[in-house]
Amino acid sequence: MNTPISPALDVTRRGSLACVGLGMTLGSHLTPLARSHIEQADVVFAALSDGVVELWLERMHPDVRSLQPYYAEGKSRMKTYRQWVELMMAEVRAGKRVCGVFYGHPGVFAWSPHKAIAMARAEGFEAHMEPGISAEDCLYADLGIDPGRYGCQHFEASQLLFYERRIDPAGYLVLWQAGLVGDRSLARFKTGSAYRQLLVELLEQDYPLGHPVIIYRAATLPIDRPRIRHMALRDLAQATLTPEETIVLPPACILKPNLAMHERLEALDRQDKTDALA
Amino acid sequence: MADAIEMLETIGRSASLRHASAEELTHILERELAPEALVAAVTQEDSSLLHAMLGSRLNQVPQVVQTPGREEEEPEPEDEEDPLTSVIPSRPK
Repeated sequence: MNTPISPALDVTRRGSLACVGLGMTLGSHLTPLARSHIEQADVVFAALSDGVVELWLERMHPDVRSLQPYYAEGKSRMKTYRQWVELMMAEVRAGKRVCGVFYGHPGVFAWSPHKAIAMARAEGFEAHMEPGISAEDCLYADLGIDPGRYGCQHFEASQLLFYERRIDPAGYLVLWQAGLVGDRSLARFKTGSAYRQLLVELLEQDYPLGHPVIIYRAATLPIDRPRIRHMALRDLAQATLTPEETIVLPPACILKPNLAMHERLEALDRQDKTDALA
Repeated sequence: MADAIEMLETIGRSASLRHASAEELTHILERELAPEALVAAVTQEDSSLLHAMLGSRLNQVPQVVQTPGREEEEPEPEDEEDPLTSVIPSRPK
């Protein structure tokens, strides 16, 4: 005999969390699976890069709650992000299917989705992340860069100032959120030219001041073009940068062959041939 | 008649419209009786005109990781093992 599914199951349903990426450009990047998560959720939280994109998301679900109001000048963004996590988790704990929608990829340069998913899993809830097309993906397409050609390092710009990192000028260097480089308070949305001058001085250790720099911003609306500006490294400090703009430094030197490793590989190749003949 | 958001979604999904020139897109939008602000945003290549019409807010975008802000987190076993936390510079008072 088939046991009918009790309506009580709905009452006792466990909450769940899905963090999905909306991609960068309205209408162009949303995956069918991410859209399905949005449409099937009980409540949707939104952390998006553009107010118009947020209006688009509201067409997909009747209960979209913007996380933008939790940002405030002078308020630590970590406090904001902890609030985001708590908002999402409160609904998960209440038994709701929660969808957190983030611009780009929800797991790239994004603290709260990773944190919320880890917390939900630790509390026994189902939680996972669906990738989206990130600003990095758009950058490769719009600038014609293949990160595999020379290699590519990515840093949040401030991290280069806060920590001792090793830059490899034979590959591409991509610096994110340079518009607020050096902000230790996490309470500002931009920093001034003196902060960027520190970044220039740091980069000067590996690049000549005349080295080309690209400043890039992906298109968020499909009527926009990507914003691409070229300048010399020496002019970076005085340039106007927004938080969503990214700095790209092309390679400054050619790849240097590792002769010692070539010799060892040659020895291995010889051994392989000898073994094959034996 | 589609509204501005629906038209934007259509443009974003269309291989021919997404990369059309501003002139071509303006012509198409005028033919489809698109909202004036959308046409103006395309013609003048200034999407702020669209934001103004729709009353949408200008969003903040920063989402950061591995910043000094991590020291504000409540201690967790995983964080104790994170070498980053041991070299985090002090925050301004």
